[in-house]
Amino acid sequence: MILEVRELVVRYGQATALDGVSLEVGEGEMVALVGPNGAGKTTLLNTISGLIRPASGSIRTAGRVVQVPEGRQLFGDMTVEDNLRLGAWRVRDRNLSHIYELFPPLSEMRRRRAYTLSGGEQQMVAVGRALMGGPQLLAVDELSLGLAPLVVQNLAEHVVRLNRESGMAVLLVEQNARLALDICARAYVLEAGRLAMAGQSAELRRSPAVQAAYLGGAVGEGEAVRAPATSPRTAGGGEGGGTAP
Amino acid sequence: MRLGFWLGLAAAVGSLLLPLLLYDAELTIYVFIGLSIIVVAGLNLLYGFAGQVSLGQGAFYAIGAYCAGILARRGIPPLAALLLAPVLTAAVAVVVGLPVLRLRGHYLAFATLAFQLIVLSIAGQFRELTGGDTGLTGIPDLTVAGVGFPLERRAFGYAYLTWVLTALALLLVHNLVASRPGRGLRALATSEAAARGSGVPVGRYKLQVFALAAAFAGLAGGVYAFFLSYIAPGSFPILLSIQFLVMSAVGGVAVVWGPVLGAVLIYILAQVLQTIGSQPGMPLHAPAELNYAVYGLVLILIMLLLPEGIVPALRSAVASGRLRSPGGAAPGMAAGPGGAPVPPPARRQ
Amino acid sequence: MSFFLGVVSSGVATGAAFALVATGFVVIHRVTRVVNFAQGVFSVVAGMLCAALLTLGLPHFLAEVVAILAAIAAGFGVGLVAIGRRGTPPLASLIITLGVGVLSYAVVILLWGDGPVSFSMLQGQVDVGGVTMLWQYVLIVAATAVTFGALMLFFNLTYVGKALTACYSNPHAARLVGIDVRRMGLLAFAIGGGLGGLAGVLLTPLQPVEFDSDVSIAINGFAAAIFGGLLRPGTALVGGLVLGVAEALVSGYSRYASLQSGVALVLILGIMVYQAGRRPEGAE
Repeated sequence: MILEVRELVVRYGQATALDGVSLEVGEGEMVALVGPNGAGKTTLLNTISGLIRPASGSIRTAGRVVQVPEGRQLFGDMTVEDNLRLGAWRVRDRNLSHIYELFPPLSEMRRRRAYTLSGGEQQMVAVGRALMGGPQLLAVDELSLGLAPLVVQNLAEHVVRLNRESGMAVLLVEQNARLALDICARAYVLEAGRLAMAGQSAELRRSPAVQAAYLGGAVGEGEAVRAPATSPRTAGGGEGGGTAP
Repeated sequence: MRLGFWLGLAAAVGSLLLPLLLYDAELTIYVFIGLSIIVVAGLNLLYGFAGQVSLGQGAFYAIGAYCAGILARRGIPPLAALLLAPVLTAAVAVVVGLPVLRLRGHYLAFATLAFQLIVLSIAGQFRELTGGDTGLTGIPDLTVAGVGFPLERRAFGYAYLTWVLTALALLLVHNLVASRPGRGLRALATSEAAARGSGVPVGRYKLQVFALAAAFAGLAGGVYAFFLSYIAPGSFPILLSIQFLVMSAVGGVAVVWGPVLGAVLIYILAQVLQTIGSQPGMPLHAPAELNYAVYGLVLILIMLLLPEGIVPALRSAVASGRLRSPGGAAPGMAAGPGGAPVPPPARRQ
Repeated sequence: MSFFLGVVSSGVATGAAFALVATGFVVIHRVTRVVNFAQGVFSVVAGMLCAALLTLGLPHFLAEVVAILAAIAAGFGVGLVAIGRRGTPPLASLIITLGVGVLSYAVVILLWGDGPVSFSMLQGQVDVGGVTMLWQYVLIVAATAVTFGALMLFFNLTYVGKALTACYSNPHAARLVGIDVRRMGLLAFAIGGGLGGLAGVLLTPLQPVEFDSDVSIAINGFAAAIFGGLLRPGTALVGGLVLGVAEALVSGYSRYASLQSGVALVLILGIMVYQAGRRPEGAE
């Protein structure tokens, strides 16, 4: 296990944000965490990252966990290269070439300030900055948020490829459950601070409750827009078939 | 019955009877404590409601004092001069506050500090009006329709005048907090954006609170001028503003008890320090040095250990001891709807 | 004409020192969001300590260096009290720095008394293109130039310097990549202390310091700093020079020499009012 969360409880003052959440991610595994807005997904990630102290429960990690935060959270007025370099604060190996190999466009905009980039480019920088931290587990918070479907697809493919090629485990936190269930083998459903469901993505996809709540039993606008982008991947991606990068 | 009500009543009766037992020198301290309570009550309004720190409350105190002194020396009836002091001070505050209040927190602190230095500099320059650095002497005594306090009971008279004004100020603040605009102002301190979004006229409320706090300081300054009959720029050092801030911080963001407890505790402390500092064998600058050391330490320790101040801390101690009746003690800005202590946003930005 | 140039040159020298103080404000504010009211204290402590060390027989330069090191330590100490405790909100930190300032009066009086203190400046003068300048002025300007150059290199080229900028740019993200924002804040306070200390040892020969000189030093530094909204060191340098020259001209040509300190105050209010008018209410 690269990450083992047991009976985690987090409180903000009187309010309980997480109520006895247990979750694990194995080595080289890709796991999804889905759930509605305000379910506590980001709180869970921030607690795993050590930014929030839990009231009780335990978090055991075997290896470095690095987070790609919701909304990118770049150093806006610093250059792309500085952003990437600062990602290596913990590890002190500041060689950027593998990031530029992974995201060739970033190499051309290395001198540009992060805030001048498009949303998709910023997300690339955010992922690249996290990779600079040499993670054994990459925790991605809302990869798809605010991005165009094609951009999301491209980024998702990169994450999947990283997982396949380097064996880096991924915990993907997503409101876009369709995307998450497509590319991850296993998933947890978090609702109001508690785990509502957990299991293989394929099973969850068949569950009527998940279909109704997250897979467009009543298709929301956002879902409808994203559907074409992710549907081609549904065929091959989800169940571990060959994903063409 | 509510604990807060009975405590308040006891404090009111006690403080009303207290001057009967005091000598003139002690009455002077009594007056100063009352005036400080008025100033700090205004400071707390600004702090708790607008989320702003003023380091220039001594400036408004000075403006009130100079207004009262100058007007009274120029033949305006003293009572009218005293009543005009807070009005004119508030007017100055509006002119200054209009631009300065658009700045958030930290900038305002420095702006008000700069403002006080400017006020002191002006008071020192314009000799014809203010008496310059040597000050304004011979301010007539306070009279109503030509009748003043009898000379031998003068301090006694000022003590009761201060009592009345302090009580009025605290009542006003108490009612303001409970009122509809008061709730709007509280929303303002929680989140300016949210308050504006829900239709609270943020800019106007902030300016009004700033002006009201200045008026309180101006009124207290007016009484000070008449009571001492002599004022100079040196009467209003930056340390005075800091002293008000210390009182506010010590009492905490509680409407009625905060200023009272803060002012009383700090004055007692000041007297103790004065006594220690002027012991035979102590160096000449010992009293001042002790004051600096203790005020500095108090500010640091309060902010680190009891950032909400003593009164909210006492209140939650009482609450956790289950001694408190439902509804809570005197309504404080730090008390939420159910009396539960809510961290005042003013101090966490 | 030569009187005019003499006034300007003295203004440039004091303005350069103000710029150092201003940069102390900026560095600390950028990283911690705290306006450090104790910023003037560093100058007073360094100036007083330097004078004391010289009296003890320490040679020049060594005395100055020790005094600046002490100011750096003082900066670190103030930071420890102001932001060392986790979760201290910036407004509380500000009041704490104010408390430290008041407390420092007691310490300074205890150590060095409540009178003005000074020490002799670099002797002699030099002719620069027809303008006679005191060597001390040249020293101040040169020291400031070197310091600004070093700061620029530090912030733009070194990894730690960039981490400091990152803390200002996005504290949350800085924490995520593993930067200890609090420790960076302490580093900023130490740098701020050093800058204040340097200004102190440079200025003390020109203007004797007293225990409460910190207020006027801080006011001048703050006025210079808010030229750049407390965020840009470069603008703070320009601000310091403009302020220094303006004050020198006022004291050189006005009948009311005491209005000199008023320049900074009016400037503070004026710039604040201008900036308040320019940006939407409540915005940083």
